[in-house]
Amino acid sequence: MKDKLKDFICEHKDEFDVYEPRQELWQEICQEMPPIDEKQKAKVISINFGKRASFKADYVFMRVAVAVLLLIGCGFILFYMKEKAVVRATNTIAATQPATIKSIAPELVEVETYYTSQISEKKKQLSDYDLKVLGLDESMQIDYELARLDSTYQQLKKELYTTPNTDKVVSAMIQNLQIRIEVLNRQLEVLQKIDKLENVIDSEVKENETANV
Amino acid sequence: MEKLSYQDVNHHVIERCRQGENRAQYELYKLYSKAMFNVSMRIVNDYAEAEDVLQEAFISAFKNLHTYKGEASFGNWLKRIVVNAAINSIRKKKVELIEIDERIMEDVAEEVCDNDTEWRVEKVRRAVQMLPDGYRVVLTLYLFEGFDHAEIGEVLSVSESTSKSQYSRARKKLLEIMREPQFVA
Repeated sequence: MKDKLKDFICEHKDEFDVYEPRQELWQEICQEMPPIDEKQKAKVISINFGKRASFKADYVFMRVAVAVLLLIGCGFILFYMKEKAVVRATNTIAATQPATIKSIAPELVEVETYYTSQISEKKKQLSDYDLKVLGLDESMQIDYELARLDSTYQQLKKELYTTPNTDKVVSAMIQNLQIRIEVLNRQLEVLQKIDKLENVIDSEVKENETANV
Repeated sequence: MEKLSYQDVNHHVIERCRQGENRAQYELYKLYSKAMFNVSMRIVNDYAEAEDVLQEAFISAFKNLHTYKGEASFGNWLKRIVVNAAINSIRKKKVELIEIDERIMEDVAEEVCDNDTEWRVEKVRRAVQMLPDGYRVVLTLYLFEGFDHAEIGEVLSVSESTSKSQYSRARKKLLEIMREPQFVA
């Protein structure tokens, strides 16, 4: 059956499409959509926010937020590590392994710091004298002796971690420190005596001079 | 009607839509909104109502995208949704689409005066708009949307023969309208 009307419409089908919906209709459709996409909402945060623009904005916001969080996290870790490094550096002066020494012989830490301060004080006093009384080769010997004592001390310290009899080692260490102080004290005494003697000689010389006069 | 390559292009967008991508949904909307709006417009014959139909149809399409298996072209699948939504819409306000007009089953004179009718798109379009709802729907589905009478019967829940007779009456009426001297295209 020939249908002229049908043929005509088939030929001009596209031309019959003269209407167009309002531009805003898509937004209205989007607004009605959220209940459909609730499943996806959990996965991708707020993609149903209407316009593409807001979707993009959300996406960018999320990215920025993640970046900021990462930066803060990195900063924190770096700061913490630095802090720790500083603490460790200060600790090494007193004891190489403070944690273990503390657990093995807690009293040793205090004793050690006390004696080391004493030793360094004496050494300072000695060096004051040394500057004045030159030509004393004894000081060289003392330095050598102190170095020897120090090396045995370090050895004892190492032993402290391995030996079961910590008390003996600790007392040996303390003894070692005391010997060092004793040595230094002796040296100081000697130097003081020399000083006195020099003074006496000086005054005697002066007395003699005045007597002669 | 749709070419295969065209469908393949859509396939990608549809897949993204299924994953809830808003942009892909917008792409589909941009592709089909105009054609679908005109489908809707031809059936409901009212701008605001046609928009409501379009909105409802797109929302329902996005919601039921997983049921689209690709056996038909996406355009035809979507068109079905639009047609159904449009028919539901006019059914809501009007009583019956197919008036039982059997009283005068006059023989439709085939090709009466077809030759003296001036065929112009705008004229035909406006004439279709002037048809009563029942006639317009059947005529539109048959001539514009490419439905056969079986499909029209299914959509309107009438028999195939009813659709056929309704169409021939609608067609006659359309030609009458176009012949009227006061009908200025």
